[in-house]
Amino acid sequence: MLNDVIFGQYYPAKSFAHKADPRIKLLALIAYIVALFIANNFYSLVLGLIVLIITVIASRVPIGSVLRSVKAIIILLVFTAVLNLFFHGGDNLLWQWGIIKIYREGVIFTIFFILRLFFLVMGSALLTLTTTPVELTDGIESLLTPLKWIRFPVHELALIMSIALRFIPTLIDETNRIISAQKARGADFESGNIFKRIKAIVPILIPLLISAFRRAEELGDAMDARCYSGSKNRTKYKKLKFGWRDIIVTLLFAGLIAGVVLLNIYANTIFPEIYEYIRLS
Amino acid sequence: MSLQNAGENVIVFDNVKFSYSGDEGVYAVNGVSLNVKRGEFLSVIGHNGSGKSTLARLINGLLEADEGRITVLGLDVSEGKNILEIRKHVGIVFQNPDNQMVASIVEDDVAFGPENIGVPREEIGKRIDWALNAVGMQDYRHSTPSKLSGGQKQRIAVAGVMAVRPEIIILDESTAMLDPKGRREVIEVVKKLNKEEGMTVILITHFMEEALLADRTIVMNRGEIVLSGTPEEIFESGEKLETYNLCLPRITEIINKLNSAGMDVQNVLHPEELAQGIIKSLNQKGITNAVSSESKSEVIKSPHEWDIDIRNLTYTYSKKSPFATKALNGVTLHIDEGEFFGIIGHTGSGKSTLVQHLNALIKLPQAEKKHRKDKKGNPGVPPSLTVGEFDLADKKTDFKKLRASVGMVFQYPEYQLFAESVFADVAFGLKNFNKKLTDEEIEKVVRESIEIVGLNYNEVKDKSPFDLSGGQKRRVAIAGVIVTKPHVLILDEPAAGLDPLGKKEIMELLHKLHREWCKTVIIVSHDMDEIAENCTKSAVISHGEVVMCDAPEKLFASADELYKLGLDIPLTSKISEVLKKSGIVINSDCTADDFANKVIGVYEGGTNA
Repeated sequence: MLNDVIFGQYYPAKSFAHKADPRIKLLALIAYIVALFIANNFYSLVLGLIVLIITVIASRVPIGSVLRSVKAIIILLVFTAVLNLFFHGGDNLLWQWGIIKIYREGVIFTIFFILRLFFLVMGSALLTLTTTPVELTDGIESLLTPLKWIRFPVHELALIMSIALRFIPTLIDETNRIISAQKARGADFESGNIFKRIKAIVPILIPLLISAFRRAEELGDAMDARCYSGSKNRTKYKKLKFGWRDIIVTLLFAGLIAGVVLLNIYANTIFPEIYEYIRLS
Repeated sequence: MSLQNAGENVIVFDNVKFSYSGDEGVYAVNGVSLNVKRGEFLSVIGHNGSGKSTLARLINGLLEADEGRITVLGLDVSEGKNILEIRKHVGIVFQNPDNQMVASIVEDDVAFGPENIGVPREEIGKRIDWALNAVGMQDYRHSTPSKLSGGQKQRIAVAGVMAVRPEIIILDESTAMLDPKGRREVIEVVKKLNKEEGMTVILITHFMEEALLADRTIVMNRGEIVLSGTPEEIFESGEKLETYNLCLPRITEIINKLNSAGMDVQNVLHPEELAQGIIKSLNQKGITNAVSSESKSEVIKSPHEWDIDIRNLTYTYSKKSPFATKALNGVTLHIDEGEFFGIIGHTGSGKSTLVQHLNALIKLPQAEKKHRKDKKGNPGVPPSLTVGEFDLADKKTDFKKLRASVGMVFQYPEYQLFAESVFADVAFGLKNFNKKLTDEEIEKVVRESIEIVGLNYNEVKDKSPFDLSGGQKRRVAIAGVIVTKPHVLILDEPAAGLDPLGKKEIMELLHKLHREWCKTVIIVSHDMDEIAENCTKSAVISHGEVVMCDAPEKLFASADELYKLGLDIPLTSKISEVLKKSGIVINSDCTADDFANKVIGVYEGGTNA
């Protein structure tokens, strides 16, 4: 089912992380990504891991669901890891085969690189696992509000996103129905060369497009009939509320950034021998 | 500006004409004059394309009249500055519940209207409460519309319109896409708004039974109002309605027939009242008990080559996800070759999932489950499904060949048309299934298919399917399925969304196909009258299980059980149920016409059984 691919992400629960303000969660994710990218040593990564673990616990999402998100990028991960491993220079040669040389520095950097990407993907997954697409849209709209000053159509953009979200399940159902109907008439979408397959999509695409236009027209009428006339004089019912949870989230991620910055400077003073051994060149 | 001073008439049409661009000279609304009074409940009927929906769109300025004048609450619709004010006071609920919602959460959607007109935040909250209460959906405030039933979605659409606090609400075929339960829900809400809130209601509908609820009914034909009066007056003019391509409500049809045979039965709207009337009339003639039990359902003699046998079929959507839903739960069902079989159940009962198994659009779970045990530890019966010679549990079955033998017409099949010409669309399936056919062979079969569905081959073959009328499109879509000459033809809600005449014609077409083209016809429906009038045998599906399976007259005898499942029984069964209590037994497995004839038979027979 196509539906699960897009909406299967959200894990319904009533946890601390689910209840936090989506704006703060978005900002927290940005902070987390920034922290991961400015980190220049393994101690900072450990800090990142601790924050990640706290977030997983606070979200009550089974760890399996969080890890599943990594599956999507595993090929990318392996590919870049191999490149890094083979082409990273260094002083301590570990292994050589023809022109391929692997250095200790390369191994350490690859591990660092993989962990960083791992945390990043899991952090992003936690946001979508604990936040519905609707909340995300509200959050983005609210965060973009200052752009109204430069006449950026924030409201219209948010409305477009909201309508798109609203119609994705409807159009997916419709697509499935059309696929079934054409299959029942003997259409074959699975075999043949690339040209045959592209041609096979026509009986799905045309009805889908026609239906989308019909829906758009009817929706336009319905919106007009419900007095829609742009963002002028419009009020907004839903207001996002900043609560005690959000203070905690803010403190946690502010702490993370501060910690990473401090570690970037003082990491070499903590267990200097270990630091020296796993130092990134 | 004081709207209260607008006087008694809230909507005034004065000789209004309108034509769609590109249709110059053809008026969709042609010289309509109409007054609607405050608090009135007006129903508008007319066949497809008679101008009903255009009328609705003219009232709130979605369309602009070419000639004549429209005033709403004293405001001229043709003046641009009035439009927003008028729309605040006139709400429209459209046909497709899916296409009028903007938000993914119920309360956000209801808030959309009030937000648009700048209602303060706290007040919007109150209006959402009020509107959701008015439509009985307060418990779904935080739900997602896509998880709701059609009736529930449409009630949310009504709430969304109500939250703007209009004085007039227009329902533009708002019940056309709903099942009977959803239809009842919406109509109840509308009746309540009219009675309790004093709202002016304009109900545009194809369902004559709904039109009866109004204070006044107007009939439209070719853009003109041809009849106007109380529903009783309108439906007394029986033959006239037929010239406007409309049908009488079934109950009125029966009453007219009885009266023409000399039984003096009053023109009433409820089956119980009619039953009392019949009893009274029979009693006057001294008949106090009678039995008329001849049954239409003849025993079907078939070679059983194309029987369908389903055993212990279970199916779960989105398995292993938090959204897993069990659609089928151990379905066991046998359908004999030659039946005109009905599958009944409301939306979400699993009936569509069931029929999609029959041509392997949904494949049977593989054999691993064979060893699974039930609660008591007994090995479960493995699911099995055979259609004629095809064993669908066998992976090696030629599913393509199966699909050519089991035709499947989906709901609203006209939405699946895609080709540049009717010929190409109909030929699509044929070419897919049999790549070796010559052009002559293809043309011969396509011609036969188009002709049997009642279209003129030479006239339509080169036309784009999108240029045809709604009813014609559906016929083309059906032709595109039957073109492979399937032995079994399955149709999901074949009559949905058509006007009364269109429904009648489609059912006639199916009988013709059953006689001349396919061995077995299976229809999925939630219209009990449709099932009672057409099917030889029916199964009731509820929560993924077959709860009953029998000939309609036996099925509908267990009315209580059907009510418990949230289903209805046909009108004729309702009447015969009341009659039975007074000792008059009349079988009800038949059309309104046959039923009336049986009653007349008893009346004229004249003696007690």
